[in-house]
Amino acid sequence: MFKPSTKTAVTTAAAIAFVAAAALPHAAFAADVLRIGAPLALTGGLADEGKKQEAVWQLWLDKLNAAGGVKVGDKTMKVEIIKYDYQTDGKRAGQLAEKLITDDKVDFLTAPFGSGHTKIIAAVTERYQVPLLACVASSESVYDQSFKYLFGTLAPNSGMTDAMAALYKEKLPTLKKVAIYGRDDVFPKSMATSMATSAKAAGIEVVYNELYAVGTMDHSAAISAIKSTGADWIYMTGYTQDLILGRKQLNDLGVKAPIVTMVTGPAYREFTDGLGDLADGVTSSTWWHHATAYTGAAGVWPSTEAFYKDFTAAFKSDPDYVHASCAAAADVLVNAVQKAGGTDKAKVRDALEATDMLTFYGPIKFGPNHMNLGRDMPIIQVQGKDIKVLYPASIANAEMKLIK
Amino acid sequence: MDLLQILVNGIVLGALYACIAVGFSLVWGVLNVINMLHGSFIILGGYLTFFAWFHLGVDPILALPAVALLLYALGYALQYLFINKVVTSPVLTTLTLTFGLDMILYNLMTVYFTATPRRVTLDMGSADILGVVMPMDRVLGMGLAFFLTGLLYLVMRGSTIGRAIVAVRMDRQAAALMGIRVNNIYAITFGIGALMAGAAGAVFAMVFPVTTNLTGTFLGKAFVICVIGGLGSVPGALVGGIALGVIESFAGFLIGPQHAITLGFVLMLVLLVVKPTGLIGVKGYE
Repeated sequence: MFKPSTKTAVTTAAAIAFVAAAALPHAAFAADVLRIGAPLALTGGLADEGKKQEAVWQLWLDKLNAAGGVKVGDKTMKVEIIKYDYQTDGKRAGQLAEKLITDDKVDFLTAPFGSGHTKIIAAVTERYQVPLLACVASSESVYDQSFKYLFGTLAPNSGMTDAMAALYKEKLPTLKKVAIYGRDDVFPKSMATSMATSAKAAGIEVVYNELYAVGTMDHSAAISAIKSTGADWIYMTGYTQDLILGRKQLNDLGVKAPIVTMVTGPAYREFTDGLGDLADGVTSSTWWHHATAYTGAAGVWPSTEAFYKDFTAAFKSDPDYVHASCAAAADVLVNAVQKAGGTDKAKVRDALEATDMLTFYGPIKFGPNHMNLGRDMPIIQVQGKDIKVLYPASIANAEMKLIK
Repeated sequence: MDLLQILVNGIVLGALYACIAVGFSLVWGVLNVINMLHGSFIILGGYLTFFAWFHLGVDPILALPAVALLLYALGYALQYLFINKVVTSPVLTTLTLTFGLDMILYNLMTVYFTATPRRVTLDMGSADILGVVMPMDRVLGMGLAFFLTGLLYLVMRGSTIGRAIVAVRMDRQAAALMGIRVNNIYAITFGIGALMAGAAGAVFAMVFPVTTNLTGTFLGKAFVICVIGGLGSVPGALVGGIALGVIESFAGFLIGPQHAITLGFVLMLVLLVVKPTGLIGVKGYE
């Protein structure tokens, strides 16, 4: 039978002491690091959007850590983002969210692009009671499930459609008929539904209101039907490739409407690049545009201009709402950690609920369903090669032009 | 007049669909390989055409032969190096292999080209004949689709390579005994399938936005068209494509665009039950 000798006991004790001593500074270091988990679509169909999130968070992180980190009480914490590629596969997104929480022991999570995938991850974070910041999910159906740990920096879709119907009615008093054509998918469908309600409320007749299936490669049948209605406003929702094709086919089939709105086409540079001159005159609504000019903001960037300057210097292109909303979401999270005085998940959740701050992206205050409360979201129009802001008046830089 | 417009829309769209399916049908019919790479081949053809136009100013029509030949070389190499190793295995094996190769190609394109939709913005306008509007780029696409499928038909009928392909399709062992290098014919067939996909991609770069998001959609269409038209025949792809285009067009107009695609799949299911060879397919390849 094995009997430990004195020598063995001393060696074992020394080893334990050594391991414990080595672990001490690590434990102290780990407590001073704020770990954020990010499941991202870096490959697959939503890779472009996922990469936007990845890029802007890296920019945010570099700036934050270069300034020393986050002051929380009397200590300074570094921030670390742990990301995984879920390959645009919703099921995998859920699995990776779980891995981030249980294996990587992240303090908080951020959601990937889109309402559908955000919904999947929210179900996981709710189960583990981990705060989740969603920066690119705007469908109210994601937020109406009474999730306590989910917060979104985009405002509800309905805020966009009411203002748009009112503005167009004012700019084109003869506006009577709108044709609504949306992709049968979470966000585009929700926008199309919301627009139909807003148009009716504004006294505009909805003469065509149809959805197209995901995977539709051709819109000629629907556009022929829209043409026969004589609509003077065409409102189409979908992803950029649908909208490029839709706008081209409207032109090919000779549809002449003075107002063409595509949500959220012109918010993305690839829309105007893919259409060339055909993009001219197309209007849209978006949650943010760099023409907005907020100053005195809390967070990494003190103003919209400062963010724009850093972003364009780093990426040689204009930021869109995905970049801005996601960077602001990270600011909101850090602000909540500071308010909570640490990374305790329940305290941070409470601090998030009480958030009322101005970021470079705009004011952030969460409503009862934890979506950012509606504010005047920009209505934009492609005019020549530029994107002009038509609404709200406080930041408008052009008059709306009708398509001839 | 509306219905005539819908019919014309459907025929023009159907010709483009035929362009998608003809290479896929050939590979499936001859090699018994369900080529999961086909959608990515089309998009790769589209990207090459777009970049040639965007960076070098090459007209898509002029780029088409070069793009098609590049895709032929890629298809030939893939078949020769990889797929030939398992080509006589059950269809699930080759399907899995091409699925894996597709994941690699798809993600390489997404990483290097990004999934950003791109389009050759050479808008050619539309022709208005008696109130029926026809976009010229689609008419051109339709012309090319007819030309390419016609050319393939003639090659299959009249050339030595074409006859060898048909011989291998009919009886692999007998063809080998007659001195046909079967593995080489397989690689040529797969290369021709890729060539047709590349040519379709070059045409599509003018009509549709090019993005990796569409690879699955193209593949799905090719599958449905082959089942509707019938495997193993070039005219089958043409008939299947036009039938699907016209059905989707009328369904989109009459019952709404939400259900147009579903109707295509319903037709496919009905044909599988009542006429598994498809509308003009060859018996034995269903």
